[in-house]
Amino acid sequence: MSKPQRVMVVSCPELSSMREPDREAARAFARLVAVVTEFCPRVESVRLGVCAFGARGPARYFGGETEVARKIVAAAAAAGFSCRAGVAEGLFAALLAAGCAAGNGGAAQGGSAGPGGGAAGPGGGAAGPGDGAAGPGGAGPSGAGGPGDAGGPNGVGSSGGVGRMGSAGESGAVMVVPPGGTREFLRRQPVGVIGNSDLVSLLTRLGIRTLGDLAALPAADVVTRLGAAGEAAHRLACGAGTQPLATTGPGADLSAEVEFDPPETIAEPVVFAAKRLAERFHAGLAARGVTCVRMGVQVRWEDGREVSRLWRHDGLLTAVQVADRVRWQLDGAAADATDDGGVDRRARGWSRSEAGARSATCQPARWKPEPVITGSGFHRAAVDEVEGAARDHGASEVGVRGGGRKAGGARGGERKAGGVRGGGREAGVRGGGLGGITVLRLVPDQVVRATGHQLALWGDALITDRVARAAMRVQAILGHEAVLRPVLAGGRDVRDRVMQVPFGEKKEPSLPPDRPWPGRIPGPAPAVVYPQPLAARVTDSRGFPVTVTGRCAVSAPPARVTVDGEPPRGVTGWAGPWPLTERWWDHAAASRRARFQLATDDGRAWLAAVCDGSWQIEAGYW
Amino acid sequence: MEAALAEVIRTSQVLPGAGAGTPPDALPVAAPLRDLIPGGALARGSVVAVPEFGLLCLALAAGVSAAGAWCGLAGVPELGVLAAAGLGLDTERTLLIPRPGTAWPQVVSSLLDGCEFVLLCPPAVAAAQTRRRLEATLRRARGVLLVAGDWPGAHVILQVTWQEWSGLGDGHGRLRACRAEVMAAGRGAAARPRTRWLWLPAEDGTVAAADALGMADVPEVMRAPKVAGALRTAGTPGVADAPGMADVPEVTVPRVVRAPKVAGVLRIAGRPKSDECV
Repeated sequence: MSKPQRVMVVSCPELSSMREPDREAARAFARLVAVVTEFCPRVESVRLGVCAFGARGPARYFGGETEVARKIVAAAAAAGFSCRAGVAEGLFAALLAAGCAAGNGGAAQGGSAGPGGGAAGPGGGAAGPGDGAAGPGGAGPSGAGGPGDAGGPNGVGSSGGVGRMGSAGESGAVMVVPPGGTREFLRRQPVGVIGNSDLVSLLTRLGIRTLGDLAALPAADVVTRLGAAGEAAHRLACGAGTQPLATTGPGADLSAEVEFDPPETIAEPVVFAAKRLAERFHAGLAARGVTCVRMGVQVRWEDGREVSRLWRHDGLLTAVQVADRVRWQLDGAAADATDDGGVDRRARGWSRSEAGARSATCQPARWKPEPVITGSGFHRAAVDEVEGAARDHGASEVGVRGGGRKAGGARGGERKAGGVRGGGREAGVRGGGLGGITVLRLVPDQVVRATGHQLALWGDALITDRVARAAMRVQAILGHEAVLRPVLAGGRDVRDRVMQVPFGEKKEPSLPPDRPWPGRIPGPAPAVVYPQPLAARVTDSRGFPVTVTGRCAVSAPPARVTVDGEPPRGVTGWAGPWPLTERWWDHAAASRRARFQLATDDGRAWLAAVCDGSWQIEAGYW
Repeated sequence: MEAALAEVIRTSQVLPGAGAGTPPDALPVAAPLRDLIPGGALARGSVVAVPEFGLLCLALAAGVSAAGAWCGLAGVPELGVLAAAGLGLDTERTLLIPRPGTAWPQVVSSLLDGCEFVLLCPPAVAAAQTRRRLEATLRRARGVLLVAGDWPGAHVILQVTWQEWSGLGDGHGRLRACRAEVMAAGRGAAARPRTRWLWLPAEDGTVAAADALGMADVPEVMRAPKVAGALRTAGTPGVADAPGMADVPEVTVPRVVRAPKVAGVLRIAGRPKSDECV
């Protein structure tokens, strides 16, 4: 029998413990996988929040399993995930190790708290890894007093394990089960970690409290007594039931690239080359009978700076249209180089991934709501059917990064890069410090089967090419979420009643507009709706602030209103208060307000509200 | 299928229907606003300025949008889409760019490639060169640019010179309608100032012509200087301090005159139906 594979598991408890994972979680997990992919390209997504890969290669490259694990946990922490990593032989043991890695500091106290080790037994089911966290820590020191079969070897094994954990403790949640120690590690786990609650309950009642107990039983008897489920559990307990990881490799490279030597400093030849490149790219996809939902355009400059952006493709773009997108991207990059912080860079989706990683680089920093296949984006022919709904627009996403690992330095260069801006056809691609373009590459993202596209018989798409082009150009300048389409929604608040959806996305209003919504203010809608309410001060005729009691009694008729520091206006008419208490069950979204309409002596009218004792102007009528 | 048919019917109705009273090289406006604008429609390639963003801007956009054109609305994060939809804006054909930032000239010229009507609230006063370049783009794209702000050289300048909301009492009622006096000025054919009374909005949220009856009791003398005042703010800021136009106290006088608000409410209750045919 060959040596079992060493497997490293990276798990993010925040995500994996989620009961009803939503798209947001899926996107977050995709980001996490992208982080892990930077260390090892072949990653298996075990389930939401958990991914695994073979530890041998990365461990050799980075100088040890603990090193890799620490690096990954640190990188994930930098990306905003609190992760644990566990290494052992086989996926099952590695998953347990990752679970055990949770809070190594806490494991020491667990030693005294859980001497039996079997105390975690009844936990069972989904809580398995959590219970396991206390298990091994407890089993280590208390090995002698534990279950009968925890003999000498267990003591040795566990002391090694504890040593490793101690060393890893400084970097947080990393647990490396030493090579050959996996069986001992498993032996100490409570049976609850098997996860089959019926079986676990039965085993517990039979007095079998740890995997070691289970493994000690003869396999044939286990099968006879417990059937297939028992056999599977027995195999797991023996450390034998490990199936090789189904990691996805990079697949065939369907991208097309062209290099410019000498570097090209004028946009036009690049765009021209893009046209030919696009033809090649399309031919490569067509030869395999696939097309891609999105296409990544990556441009690299002489100084190593790289701009990559995703464009919706859906197999509908011709070579000329691809060239157009390349042109816009260059325009945007040139404008960007001249823009001195006018636009928030984070808002534009700057990513900080490595230039070399082929598939991961085409993933943007910001994720679209469609499910996106992560890891190797390329050769996923039979995977996805595209929704027809997503066809009709193009959308772009941006990811710009500094060259390679020296992102910081390259950023500095970008910022300094002043000068030429994309002015029409003769767009210069050369910012002050950028130099010329050296590489242009088209990368397919999310490859799907090419099923053709049927145009509508009547009433061609609402969004014509012309509009889509204009919108995408603006998106190229300002970022994906700067161009919005309004969708009328329901709700009582004036702000709730319009939802703004980025161009190229489809979203149904969360508050349906066709409900009655009692409590909304009737009459003409305000022309000015402040995204953030303005601070205001409303006083009565004597100059005292007007207050509203909990029973909606107004202290005095409002006489003057001061909006956001402007000179006070006299109130000529008012109505209210109209109380509104919404979503009291949700702290973040709860609101309790009393609303007023005020007409002022300059002919305007205002929608004001008292919230937490202070006045706000929510909207204006003029 | 039905949706497709409805779409066909809609497009076939809207496009020629809207063009009925509209010259081919112009975009239609809502009927009550036609009298204000020379030719009764917004000439393609022209700039229309409204000194301050408000319902008037939305009414212009809605008129164009209702005729099937795409509208790009840039630079107004506080834009009340609901009010615009009430005026007739087709939200399906609307692009919002709430914060164009410093790249706004580029954004507007990109938008003009796709949208026939662009509303812009420039973050700063546009430099002459920027304006010239945008106007050239505008002529080439044959669109209409509505600027909510100052735009020297605008072809038409529309301004609300007077407005009053009705429906609010002293602690009771609710806002129902706003009677506004809108004045148009500008260059060329629009040079002669025109004034119209409008319900902006009427009680149903649309824009409708209003009669000036409510102001019959306001002496003409008092309204005349306001028109002049409007011209000043719209066109030539420098004249504002001209010595002969000491009309400042009069601003308060009409307020006193239109005191009987209850009467106004009564009028609205009966009036709008007959107003719409004006």
